Amino acid sequence: MTTDEPLLPTFAASGAVLAAGLAGLLWATHGGSAFTTETLRRSAVDEAPVAVPDFIVVDTQRQQRPLHTLLAKDGRVWIVDFVYTRCTTLCLALGSVFQQLQSHIVEQGLQDRVGLLSISFDPQADTPATMSAYAERMRMQPAVWQLLTLRDASDRRRLLDSFGIMVVPAPLGEFEHNAALHVVTPTGQLVRIVDLSEPDEALAAAVNLAASVGAAR
Amino acid sequence: MNTRRQPAARALARAAAISTAAAAVALSLPPLRALIEQSMAWHMVVQMPLLAAAGWLSSRAVDSARSGPTRFNRFNRFGLTGFMAVQCIAAYWMLPSAIDRAVVLPMVDAAKVASLFATGWWLRNAFQVAPPAVQLFFAGTTLPMAVWLGSYLASTDLRLCNAYSLASQVNAGRGLVALALVAGIGWALHLRGWMAQRS
Repeated sequence: MTTDEPLLPTFAASGAVLAAGLAGLLWATHGGSAFTTETLRRSAVDEAPVAVPDFIVVDTQRQQRPLHTLLAKDGRVWIVDFVYTRCTTLCLALGSVFQQLQSHIVEQGLQDRVGLLSISFDPQADTPATMSAYAERMRMQPAVWQLLTLRDASDRRRLLDSFGIMVVPAPLGEFEHNAALHVVTPTGQLVRIVDLSEPDEALAAAVNLAASVGAAR
Repeated sequence: MNTRRQPAARALARAAAISTAAAAVALSLPPLRALIEQSMAWHMVVQMPLLAAAGWLSSRAVDSARSGPTRFNRFNRFGLTGFMAVQCIAAYWMLPSAIDRAVVLPMVDAAKVASLFATGWWLRNAFQVAPPAVQLFFAGTTLPMAVWLGSYLASTDLRLCNAYSLASQVNAGRGLVALALVAGIGWALHLRGWMAQRS
């Protein structure tokens, strides 16, 4: 190997490659702040709200209506989560978070301003009867907390994609999915995604939003 | 540099390169795609290294037909530029968000296949011209990083990839640690051969 060849071209090329690589990594991680799809999804919503598409939904009483009609019904801001009622793992945690939220809402008399919405992404298994049983088990108060699923199973992909939920089949017929609390306005805008561990944060965001929605009306 | 190899050896090198590349790419296409969609270990510990191996073997197969320095060598003394590129690309494909994107978006998956193949190709070229000190620096930063990431994936309760279950992530983490150890041992043996040749 010759040793008198100039090093400068190599240093320049290495520097350029490193700068490009670093720029690419910073871009891909939202400036180094987001290494997972979940954190990227949350910061994307923080920057620009996402319009939730409309679907025909079915509730525990077999009533069918467009999701947007339900969201806009009484001007409440919604905290939305995604479940399947056979769940024995994460959704149980989600369920208990929603139970906590429900009691906070009732205690603080916020039920006119904030509503809770659980949407099942498993419409085949979650019939109105199954959902009723789940609602009873969770002690849902219909005035505060509603459970729905899609009328058409073919809408499932579009619903999950619009919120950025990925459902992965797990052993024993269960699912794993990214769970979080989604704050949605009466006009169907997803404006905030809050971690499951911070239900108070989600409630505060929803109450604030309800105040500004109420002021605009 | 190697002297010109026998035609049989050359045919063997070519066959190894082509079959490895075919196996690696087949994992991105149906029906085998189901494996990398369902298992993070198949994705990270089998397919990704296989792509790099395919690049490495292809570079070797082509080299046996054509020898001598190329005009890029003056930008890649000691294999430095190659090592930098490999480290950047490897760092990107270690990101959980990048792994998710490769599962969901076919275009990203195609970029993954191409970039990891290139990584193997550049890595072999770099290892051929790099003095042991530079090799040690590269291996000494990259392999511990893989061991650390693997241990983290295997031990955290946080599900990092939305596309994979936690159980799958644990397997991938253990596999990554094993892979880094195997690569480290392979490199040490290679170095020993090199030193024996010199003395």
